[in-house]
Amino acid sequence: MRQLLSFLCLSLLSVNVFSAAASAADSDYHEQLNLRPLPQSALLASFNFRSNTTVAEFEKGNFRFFPRSLGQILQHAGTRELHLRFSLGRWDAETWGARPWDGAREGGTGVELWAWLEANTDDEADHKWLTLTNALSGLFCASLNFIDGTRTTRPVVSFQPEGDHASLANMHLLYGVLPHEVVCTENLTPFLKLLPCKGKAGIASLLDGHKLFDASWQSMAIDVRPICPTAGGDCVLQIEQTIDMVLDIDRSKRPRGNPIPRPPSGHDLPCDTSKPYHAHDTCFPADHTANQDWSLSQIFGKPMKGVPSTRSVFVSEGVRETRNPDGLSQCFEIPPSTELEMALPVPEDATLPVTITPETPLLYAERSFTGHGQERGGVQTILRNPSPTTPVDFIYMESLPWFMRIYLHTMSARLSPTPNSTTTTDQTDLIQQVYYRPALDRFRATQLEVRMRVPPAATVVLTYDFEKSILRYTEYPPDANRGFDVAAAVITILDPNQEQQEGGRRIALRTTSLLCSLPTPDFSMPYNVIIFTSTAIALAFGGMFNILVRRFVAADEGPEGGLAVLGKLKGRLKGLKGRLKK
Amino acid sequence: MDGAKVTLGRMAGLYAGAAVLRLAVFTLIPGLPDLLTGRVEISTPVTSFKRLQEGLFLYNHNVSPYDGGVYHQAPLFLPLFSLLPSFASLPIFTYLLYIAVDLVSARALWRIADSGEAVSSALFTSPRREKRWSGLVIAAVFLFNPFTIATCIGRSTSVFTTCAILHAIAKAVSGAPLGAMVALSFASYLSMYPLFLLPPLVLLCYDRQRPERATNSPLKFAAVCASAVAGVVAVLFQLSYLVTGSWEFLPSTYGVQLTLSDLTPNVGLWWYFFIEMFDSFRSFFLAVFWLHLSSYVGGLTVRIRRQPLVVLTLLLGIFAIFKPYPSISDMSLFLAVVPLYRHVFPLMRYTFVSAAVVLYASCLGPAFYYLWIYAGSGNANFFYAITLVWGLGLSLLVCDLMFAVLRDEWEVERPEMAGKEIRQI
Repeated sequence: MRQLLSFLCLSLLSVNVFSAAASAADSDYHEQLNLRPLPQSALLASFNFRSNTTVAEFEKGNFRFFPRSLGQILQHAGTRELHLRFSLGRWDAETWGARPWDGAREGGTGVELWAWLEANTDDEADHKWLTLTNALSGLFCASLNFIDGTRTTRPVVSFQPEGDHASLANMHLLYGVLPHEVVCTENLTPFLKLLPCKGKAGIASLLDGHKLFDASWQSMAIDVRPICPTAGGDCVLQIEQTIDMVLDIDRSKRPRGNPIPRPPSGHDLPCDTSKPYHAHDTCFPADHTANQDWSLSQIFGKPMKGVPSTRSVFVSEGVRETRNPDGLSQCFEIPPSTELEMALPVPEDATLPVTITPETPLLYAERSFTGHGQERGGVQTILRNPSPTTPVDFIYMESLPWFMRIYLHTMSARLSPTPNSTTTTDQTDLIQQVYYRPALDRFRATQLEVRMRVPPAATVVLTYDFEKSILRYTEYPPDANRGFDVAAAVITILDPNQEQQEGGRRIALRTTSLLCSLPTPDFSMPYNVIIFTSTAIALAFGGMFNILVRRFVAADEGPEGGLAVLGKLKGRLKGLKGRLKK
Repeated sequence: MDGAKVTLGRMAGLYAGAAVLRLAVFTLIPGLPDLLTGRVEISTPVTSFKRLQEGLFLYNHNVSPYDGGVYHQAPLFLPLFSLLPSFASLPIFTYLLYIAVDLVSARALWRIADSGEAVSSALFTSPRREKRWSGLVIAAVFLFNPFTIATCIGRSTSVFTTCAILHAIAKAVSGAPLGAMVALSFASYLSMYPLFLLPPLVLLCYDRQRPERATNSPLKFAAVCASAVAGVVAVLFQLSYLVTGSWEFLPSTYGVQLTLSDLTPNVGLWWYFFIEMFDSFRSFFLAVFWLHLSSYVGGLTVRIRRQPLVVLTLLLGIFAIFKPYPSISDMSLFLAVVPLYRHVFPLMRYTFVSAAVVLYASCLGPAFYYLWIYAGSGNANFFYAITLVWGLGLSLLVCDLMFAVLRDEWEVERPEMAGKEIRQI
């Protein structure tokens, strides 16, 4: 039972993520590292850790590989399925291609959390959600407790449970997102603590905060779900922890003792030899070197080294190697108590393909703000379907803060004119369904889910207008003029073949988050404003009151007023003067 | 006979001119209506046409418009605008509706002017009554007032309130108390604040009762009027309930005005005050501001008992300054009724100052708003300062009118004081 299996999979030309041989229910613990070189000297490292416990054991409170701290929180908050994401950076789909794990293990910038809670009423679900976010906040050192009602939505169609649930009748899906949260090492440490070896052994020993948060893109994910074998048998509760990071090899190889980048000397420069003017004294620098040599210890700063059929790989002894039949990837099974180093030298065969074409994603999405000024604006999302033959069906979900007042009647989708476009699709077909729940000031966020279809080889632009509200001065953060983060839009691509079935293959992708600047008041003058406004009101009120209650008399009538008293006083003074002179 | 014909011809000319002008602006400058709709001086959260469209869109797609933070206007607008052909495809019908509302308001104003209530009410006749403008001039001043035109082009829904208030007054002066009460109920239903006009309006109705149906008990008369208003408002609420299917609209429409939860800038004094207000004092100051707004009603009604129309005029001016979401449309309503007091203009002391201040604020307001929101070279205080100036200028105008009217009253007792220096003790 107590088998600790480590897998290290490397794919060079492969486009498939190599899945581990062991099936989910076979072992209690399983870990795997997938290394995939990407164009422009980037390297995708996908760490995956999986632990199981039977539901019966879990309910009795017997935890073995399942982390006790998290398990107790889940039990207390009645959580049946949990997904937590910490992400940083932007996945460059144009260069890096499709996302790892079909995008199912990544989140938008910041922290994202969604869970299925068991509750009888919406209020009970809200209460449990509050418990859950506060407990997770303490566990992961993240501001998850700020996921309150104004940041929580209940998506209708975007998310489907991944696990096997007996009934969904009493399950409430709640989704919260904190785009402003800065993910950092204090979130990694508790993440590693959930592993059986606390990150001291196995592939987790490669994880280091300095390298992880220096990556061009990284995403940490925790997924807890119940899995019931279809053949029958005990249901297990599975926790899957995933870390994906895209490292820049050049940057990672920079020596640790000398972190300051200096220009390399002339003979170290990689030159583009294909240029006609290349000579011994001229060098056109190649922007990105393909097929670089690297080793695990170089890029992760720690030993553990590795790779594929067309390129020779040197690995430590005692590592069992399996080659994938397609010849594009290699797997190494690492026995316990072995230190692994893996080195990938520069290929001797110079005819090897220099660039690797990654898998083309099904859809490219870009979102940005339009308009200027702090009063109103628009959101524009450009959705491009690269496939020349198949249309893409997907659900576009936005969870917007309440202070962005969106005008749904301005929402429109149009086909962007392309020079070789021959499609004559009716534009009303682009938006098929809309689920909308407007925001309530200070209580609830806007929830927008749009089911759309992009025809083959077409670009669709989805736009809508919004208005920026002005807040009370205590509602602004200390850096009010920086702006407010708007969470990433989640796009869930529906598999055309299994469209109607539940649990069909769904591919997720997320846009970048946005920064929305709101109008700001002057924070330094609450007292001044209170005084000025009160003065203006007092002037108006006092003036009218005076006119209403005082009697009219001719200028020379009635009792003497202020001026008359002054005249009298003058006369008295004169008299006094005269007396003194005497 | 001939005179009636001439008047009819003039009336037709005036209305045609005003309608053509508006229609020309709507159609010849297609970007202007949307530009004006977006201006904070014209569209407030409770009157904005863009928000109305959003509410209409949600209503037509079976989403409750009140279950959100955008639509805060009366529910009966929704079926009304649903009946019109869609604004997106045929905007001309919406334009025509707004133009018609303006013309109907002008017609009511004309009737008020023609009744001569402003110069000679039941209990008081001004010594200066000869010097007044005809209904034609007053309607023209209203119809060609830039503030009125901007409100109409900006399609602010406050034009409906304006129309209802003017009709309430017109009905009251023509001796139709029930009609006045129904019109006032509509106005209150649409914007809430016209409910404060009830006491002076009841007095006006009481003074102008038709002799054949007059009651002599003012208390009984007031009770009947108040119950008429309550009844009509209840019916309107019930209709709204039927239209929207829930009572959600009450907090979303009137609650927003009471609690000022939407702090979008406008020309009034409330928004910045409540942005900068400390949270623990927010409710207290909300109560104070509302109390302040209502405090004028009783005082003015009692003090200027002999001229209820003056009370209505002054209250309209006060509301244009101190209500939670004022816009220039409230100003245009006040400026529509001020010319009725042409006869007391010579008694006003600060006409030039207040006119200059109002003009100054109207020119600098948009500029300072631009500096704050778009150019970023000014901050919120710029626009706030201009709203303060605007408020002060308007209150000076209201005070001045009040002074002139009271002096006019006083000169009935002291005819020899006309044109002499006076003071107040």
